[in-house]
Amino acid sequence: MNFSGKILLVDDEPHIRKFVALILKKFGDPQVIEASNGQEALRLMRETPPDLILLDVNMPVLDGVQTLGAIMQENPEAIVVMLTSLVNRQTVEECLRLGATGYIRKDTPSVEIRSELLRIIIDCFGEEPADLSAS
Amino acid sequence: MPALVAAETSAPVLPNYTAPPFPVTAKLDLRGRKVLVVDDDRLNARILTSILRPGGYIVTQTDSAEKALELYATFNPDLVLLDVVLPGLNGFDACRQLKSMYGDACAPIIFITAKRESEDVVEGLTAGGVDYLPKPFRPKEVLERVRVHLQNRVLIEQQQKLVAQLSSANAAKNRLLGMAAHDLRNPLASIRGMADFLRDGTVGQLTPDQLDLVATIHEASQSMLELVNEFLDISVIESGELKIRPSATSLPELLTKSVYLNNINAARKGTRIDLTLSETDRPCQMDAEKIKQVVDNLLSNAIKFSPPASVIQIRAEYTDTHCSILVQDQGPGIPAGESHKLFKDFSVTSVKPTAGEKSTGLGLAICRKIIEAHRGLISAENHPAGGCVFKISLPLT
Repeated sequence: MNFSGKILLVDDEPHIRKFVALILKKFGDPQVIEASNGQEALRLMRETPPDLILLDVNMPVLDGVQTLGAIMQENPEAIVVMLTSLVNRQTVEECLRLGATGYIRKDTPSVEIRSELLRIIIDCFGEEPADLSAS
Repeated sequence: MPALVAAETSAPVLPNYTAPPFPVTAKLDLRGRKVLVVDDDRLNARILTSILRPGGYIVTQTDSAEKALELYATFNPDLVLLDVVLPGLNGFDACRQLKSMYGDACAPIIFITAKRESEDVVEGLTAGGVDYLPKPFRPKEVLERVRVHLQNRVLIEQQQKLVAQLSSANAAKNRLLGMAAHDLRNPLASIRGMADFLRDGTVGQLTPDQLDLVATIHEASQSMLELVNEFLDISVIESGELKIRPSATSLPELLTKSVYLNNINAARKGTRIDLTLSETDRPCQMDAEKIKQVVDNLLSNAIKFSPPASVIQIRAEYTDTHCSILVQDQGPGIPAGESHKLFKDFSVTSVKPTAGEKSTGLGLAICRKIIEAHRGLISAENHPAGGCVFKISLPLT
């Protein structure tokens, strides 16, 4: 196993968190911390600084764009990948401008999500999880 | 507004309603419609009024164009009978003024004239009049001409109202489709993804029976997701929100990515997608995400309609001004006389997918709209050696 970093997974829909967490497991043994809205995410981020943040765009309480702004203000080095469903590209561009590293479409097949996440992890951490070619 | 017409209260056009081949409009009830009579000759005005009132019209009369322009605003007539020769402003000029003030909403104007020379008639019609009434008046003729023009006006109003209603109903449909599609998408993607994990053993081995059930869940959620995506695309495109954001794109890179992912699905049918790339890799201006969607659609169609264990070929070609993508399958081709159906909404040909896959008939219609938004062309023809070739051609800049 290679990637064992801390990942903060933020989405208001439990089934999405479960689904994405399963994909993340394929990368080795990452420690996945889950939050269901932006406010919770900010609190957890301060408690346990994560290596990677996966952040949903449409959420109650504090939405993804606002949360991203707050994250980048506290830690401009944070690696944040937006989770989007419909590609609302204006929002995506706004997020990239605010400092997001990339975005992933939740409605694409899991292989596609996996390969996008893998690319981002390799780019950011220079590691390649061992079992990826196998899956 | 007086109560009008049968058509306004009749049922809206329903999808399964078939119009009779030659629609016949029932005679409209025009009683209560307002007519403004403008004539400086008191006797003429009185004669016209006495002809029109028994027909059920509300008549107001005046003796100059200037007064007529003022009265028009308060009386709001449905039709104007306008003398040509008047003290002060003449009838033609008054007509031009009314037209420029009220535009298309202006009531039809019929000129009253003793002159029957064609020049005058022509000037009256070019000024915006719809007809003329020759003096001396014949009551039946007056009533008939007035009725015809009032009826035309009422019909036009009804059409405009109907068009407005239909457009807003269509917009509401698009909003509903978009909302429904949005909220169905994420859960479906999760169902599909989790079925995937059950199937590939991520969470432990399943028995063959369990695997069979999981495969069914996967396929059903996959085809529902495709349907929902297509609905969403159609609603976005129809509401005019299809925005193309072109950027310099490497076609080989795009095709490699699409072929990699589609090969995973193809492998389930024992089919293989072969990608041939030329030496050239010139950047093309395109919306990479949208074009990939089109390529994905063509490849998934090719997989659907080819027999198991086929080979699908995809290649890119360049000319000085365009790049093209060609997808060739080993399916049965396009049946004779059905090629016009290919790129239309909800239109499917008589060819069926070879493994019971679903087809909404929206995919290619969406492809066509995306390609047209790129000022490109999409076409399909049968290959002499069998199968069918889809070709996309896009301008390089």
